[in-house]
Amino acid sequence: MSARTRELGLLTLVGLITATGFASVYIARQNEISSGSLSYAGFFFALYLVAHLVARLTVPDADPYLLPMAALLTALGLTEIYRLNPTDALRQGLWVVIGVGCFALTLVALRHDFRRLESYKYLFGLSALALLFMPALPKIGRTVNGARLWVHFGSLQFQPGELGKIAMIVFLAAYLHSKQEVLALGRLKDFGPLLAIWGCAMLVLVATHDLGSALLFFGIFLAILYLATGRLLYVGVGLTLFLVGAAGVYETTAHVRSRVTIWLHPWTTQRLPCHTPHGIELMTRQQCESYQLVKSLYSIAQGGFFGTGWGKGTFALPNGNNLIPDLNTDFIFSALAQELGLVGIAALLLVLMLFVVRGFRVALQVDDGFSKLLAAGLTFGFTLQTFIIIGGILRIIPLTGITLPFISYGGSSVVANFILLAGLLLVSQRANEAR
Amino acid sequence: MALASISVDAVLLALKIAFLLLLYLFIWRIVRAASREMRAPQESFVLAPMAERHEKRAPRPGTLVVISSPDLEEGQRVELTHEALTIGRGPLNELQLDQDDFTSGKHALIDPRRDGVWVEDLGSTNGSFVNGVRLTSSRRLLPGDVLRIGETDFRYER
Repeated sequence: MSARTRELGLLTLVGLITATGFASVYIARQNEISSGSLSYAGFFFALYLVAHLVARLTVPDADPYLLPMAALLTALGLTEIYRLNPTDALRQGLWVVIGVGCFALTLVALRHDFRRLESYKYLFGLSALALLFMPALPKIGRTVNGARLWVHFGSLQFQPGELGKIAMIVFLAAYLHSKQEVLALGRLKDFGPLLAIWGCAMLVLVATHDLGSALLFFGIFLAILYLATGRLLYVGVGLTLFLVGAAGVYETTAHVRSRVTIWLHPWTTQRLPCHTPHGIELMTRQQCESYQLVKSLYSIAQGGFFGTGWGKGTFALPNGNNLIPDLNTDFIFSALAQELGLVGIAALLLVLMLFVVRGFRVALQVDDGFSKLLAAGLTFGFTLQTFIIIGGILRIIPLTGITLPFISYGGSSVVANFILLAGLLLVSQRANEAR
Repeated sequence: MALASISVDAVLLALKIAFLLLLYLFIWRIVRAASREMRAPQESFVLAPMAERHEKRAPRPGTLVVISSPDLEEGQRVELTHEALTIGRGPLNELQLDQDDFTSGKHALIDPRRDGVWVEDLGSTNGSFVNGVRLTSSRRLLPGDVLRIGETDFRYER
């Protein structure tokens, strides 16, 4: 059985899963049995059939599991978004179409040799920096929840950091590949680039107040640096520098300090001053700053082993307002955890893990340095981002709003992750056609 | 009405179970297919410099100690390297046993691999023996094994 045929089989299974999920939500919502929702699943399946056909034409020998897993994650996200708010789901559905379009474009444009990207490395580096700092610009940047991550042109909004991440990985893979032999010597003067990029990460942190993005970018950099040179010393020095910088920002920025307090002590028994739209009032912390995190923890606990089932979770107050703010973006994990239960969310985590395993396997199989670093970098970016948001929701690390790849509501995230997927498939094709 | 709502709940329960089962079926199919291809190269994805250092640091594969031989001195130690080594009577062997009349021209191959030192008989007349058992295919040597080539006995040590 060829790789693409196997992919088609798995995509059919994903289509079935999607149909079951959508039907559950639809029936729970209308409280009547109907097959009306199946057209959504049909549309979804057709969309992935297109992605599959493009893959069949451009990367026939690439890994057959990555696309179905991405399809499953997108389907789970879209079903939950549909359950929370059908209007958002329509918009997200449109973004998935655009995402698949970008996936196809990337595959078609780079099908002959993606390695020519290596010669445009500085272009990618500069675009990454520009995209990262865009939200900090006065006119178009926008602050949401204390972090400055959004850019808006008229009614169009997006998070440029998501695309910046991909550009950054391409740049780092190309740059560190060309410098790896020099850097592997580990002389003092070779720490220059390390310091420069550390400085950039800190600047991003100061400009956007977003610990998550800074950690993501610096983590990706350290990972690719280690893979290129094999020197743990760089990782040690880099992490120390990052901790020192983060401690400095902690001291000077109230927003970052508050995130750490919420992480360590989400519950208080005495009432503390709290900023509300009506002025300062006395409230416990779980009613105020850590409200979102605490309600999300309750939501996860509510799911139990088998979950409430699609459409049966409690996410709204009796007056119809949302119980948890940002439920469909940053907190979609806790919505899914409540409705699918431990059994379902464990399956979701397994799929995320298998995606990572397949990604790293692509890096193992391919034999040239740039491709190795690119595949490993893309996979590591996906891994770290997933860890930062799920770890934040589960109180393993301080919570920073970042999207859960393929699942969260958000156009820039969906598009960026489909390009990431296309990149992995291209490297995988190269690895498999060589043998 | 009550009947209708019961059947909606029943359908939702059935869908919920079906959903979870399909989800795990998907995971199982990927895991099963992936475990079939475990024989892929298990090298590191850290680029070259580290790989070379690993090579240098890797432990020597072991030593063959002569127990008794018509040719070599008793107690003589043959240090193995990472290169394969042939034993036999002919002059082209890395370890030549020209006084041992029971040895064939090219007798046996000692092949240090990633997972241990392997020995293989190269179609010799009198055969090669590990702990008294004649070799029919290649076999991995364990510390303390006695290898007999012709009338020469070696003990393999790490």
